[in-house]
Amino acid sequence: MHPENEKYIELSAADFPRKCAEYSRRHFLRTMFAADERELDGYFRVYAVFSPMGEDRFDILTMKLREDALAYGSITPLVPAAHWYEREMRDMFGIIPEGHPDPRPLCLHGIYGDVYPLRRDVTTDDIKKSVDFSREDGYFFMRVKGEGVYEIPVGPVHAGIIEPGHFRFSAVGETIYHLDPRLFFTHKGTEKLFESRGFENGVELAERISGVSSFSHSSAYCMAVERMAGMDISPRAKAVRTLVIELERLYNHIGDIGNMCAGTGFALGYAKGAILKESLMALNARLTGSRYLRGINVIGGVTRDVFDAADDVISTLDGVKTGFKHFMEFLLDSISHIERLEGTGLLSREIALKMGATGPAARASGISDDIRRAHPHLSYGSLIFEAHTYQKGDVYSRMMVRREEAECSFSIIDSLIERRHEGELRMPAGKFPAGGSALGYTEGPRGSVFYWIKASGDGSPLRVKVRSASFCNWPLVSYAIHGNIVPDFPLVNKSFNLSYSGCDL
Amino acid sequence: MWYGDRVNNFQFILILLLSPLAQGIIKKIKAMMQGRVGAPLLQPYYDLARLFKKDMVIPRTASWIFHAAPYVVFSSVLAASMLVPVFSAGQSTGFLAGGGIGVSGTGDIIAIIYTLALGRFFLALGGLDAGTAFGGEGSSREMSVAILVEPSMMLAVFTAAVASGSTNLGVIAGSGSVFFSPAHVLALAAFFVAVIAETGRIPVDNPDTHLELTMIHEGMLLEYSGKYLAIMEWAHYMKQMLLFTLAADLFFPYGIAGAGAGFGIAAAAGLWAGKMLILCFGMALAESTRAKMRFFQLPSLLGAAFVLSALSIITFIMTGK
Repeated sequence: MHPENEKYIELSAADFPRKCAEYSRRHFLRTMFAADERELDGYFRVYAVFSPMGEDRFDILTMKLREDALAYGSITPLVPAAHWYEREMRDMFGIIPEGHPDPRPLCLHGIYGDVYPLRRDVTTDDIKKSVDFSREDGYFFMRVKGEGVYEIPVGPVHAGIIEPGHFRFSAVGETIYHLDPRLFFTHKGTEKLFESRGFENGVELAERISGVSSFSHSSAYCMAVERMAGMDISPRAKAVRTLVIELERLYNHIGDIGNMCAGTGFALGYAKGAILKESLMALNARLTGSRYLRGINVIGGVTRDVFDAADDVISTLDGVKTGFKHFMEFLLDSISHIERLEGTGLLSREIALKMGATGPAARASGISDDIRRAHPHLSYGSLIFEAHTYQKGDVYSRMMVRREEAECSFSIIDSLIERRHEGELRMPAGKFPAGGSALGYTEGPRGSVFYWIKASGDGSPLRVKVRSASFCNWPLVSYAIHGNIVPDFPLVNKSFNLSYSGCDL
Repeated sequence: MWYGDRVNNFQFILILLLSPLAQGIIKKIKAMMQGRVGAPLLQPYYDLARLFKKDMVIPRTASWIFHAAPYVVFSSVLAASMLVPVFSAGQSTGFLAGGGIGVSGTGDIIAIIYTLALGRFFLALGGLDAGTAFGGEGSSREMSVAILVEPSMMLAVFTAAVASGSTNLGVIAGSGSVFFSPAHVLALAAFFVAVIAETGRIPVDNPDTHLELTMIHEGMLLEYSGKYLAIMEWAHYMKQMLLFTLAADLFFPYGIAGAGAGFGIAAAAGLWAGKMLILCFGMALAESTRAKMRFFQLPSLLGAAFVLSALSIITFIMTGK
């Protein structure tokens, strides 16, 4: 019924918080979400997905909640990493985590009325009708009191061409005491939309959740659907996906390192990074027809074999590899730039662990967690590579983790191209089992991407939960910026490089 | 010659008209260093023309200071330009010199620096008056930087003044008395750092950034639009060229017409243009190859400039050259 490495553990609402706290000591909380399963058995369900450190297994704790008693004891006081997930469930389903330290809504801003969008009996029309732009928001920001404390409101509209997000700084002079971000300005209802599109048509949607993570999202989504349907795609299709995920990592990591130069005002470094990124994106376009690697993934495999163009990949990557080596030497020799990165935006291992950090941000703070190694999937089981960690947790560490991972991606691609990969590119999608469910996951450039899907009685999607890396890492920026100075915020923010769209579903 | 005095009196017009070009040249050189084509050389003129035509958005909270600041800033820079010998340092040169600000001919260097300070004061007030966080931030940072820059700039200038025995720019520029002595090199280094800070360039400020939280000069201008913004930007271009001219007058005082050096006006103007080009190139080079400094480390850079200028004056007194 379930994929082999998923173990569901049914708990009562009374036991749930205690058990979660117990699990969180030796497990990573991967994601937490609710589903409206009333049409199957008359209950709402809450799921918390844990995976033990160092084992390829998912322990999924779950509990049933009756429609007239949608409250349970919040796990956030015991498992801080759950804080946004519980607020999200409150907004989207009306499930109340009692005792949650933060009573504010997360995803739905004040313009929405009393509507719980992800309940199955709520239609998109109901949601649209509830919107009233003149409604009082009632949102409040956390305040720092004291002499000389002043607030700097930034956004939601920014000077650069980026998505909307509001940042409220409480500062004394230039020193930041507290940052309270408010995101979710462009809630798109993606998860609701998944439910109406059918599993096969969900791929395009997954590709559009976050532009520069298009391929890791579509891979995780396809993987979830394939696992649910019990399909095992061919080694050749797996190798194509692995290679393209690494291409996505490459252009992101190299682009991110270049973008950090914009944060320090280092124009030459920024320009050099942009040139390297562009040659990778041009390669993407030649290989797949899309600079953002869209249109390759389909349920059951891939639409084209990028190994046909292996020569182009090899020659382009050779050039980029040399260019990247020189670029890093140039950056590391530029003392004025490196000086700005060292010791800036410290994220301690303890906080990263407690708050559920993922990706390069977690590894730069000494957490050796990489989904490619923790839960080998696609071709990763047959490849030898390491999780690259740094201990200090500053902007410099986050840059160096990206550098080492980019170098690692070059060699992963090399060894994939050396091998022969057999099998059909694409296998026909079978029937989707009624009530079936599965996780799909991968390690994207920003960190782990998780999808959890569940089919309803007729095999159509009942729930598609998307958990992007940005959803985990956004709250960390507030911790990393604490005690830094205001003009360093853009740099610290760039070192995390988070997506607004990726968490604002 | 009958036209001599008039040319002298109107040499500030060169700064007024050519300063956007200097900005365009710096931008072009920077773009080329980054492997970009870059905007046309004349882009700053197009920008100013476009801004002058646009409507303005005025913050609701703005008082008369917000409206007055652009004019005060512009006229203070213009007034300072009138005191500076651009290419000619003859007697009774400088448009305002006849009005008594100058001692004999061109203006007094201290008067020039504090006329610029008046502009800066109103620029900062204008930033504060809009009532936004970024304006206030920019103003507070600008003043912090100003406190640190002013002493080193003054001391560096004094080296040149002591060497030529006068604080009058015409005398300094025309004296040719400052040569490449240790004191001269030290003062030049200090002055160069001060010019970088005054013109809002890397590593002190980043003129090309869109990141509001890191801005100094741009932060103060954030609420200005249309005509006011054009005036402010133009004033900033002029101030930049004025400071370049000051650097040329103080530290490369060769080839200034009218002070017995025997230079014709055309040759002197050409030489001035050459000096400007070299300074533009140096500025673009300095800006391209470095990252911006962390704000709290600026005092060490500007403190170092102060030490250099102090050393320069001590060296001069001890060695006598």
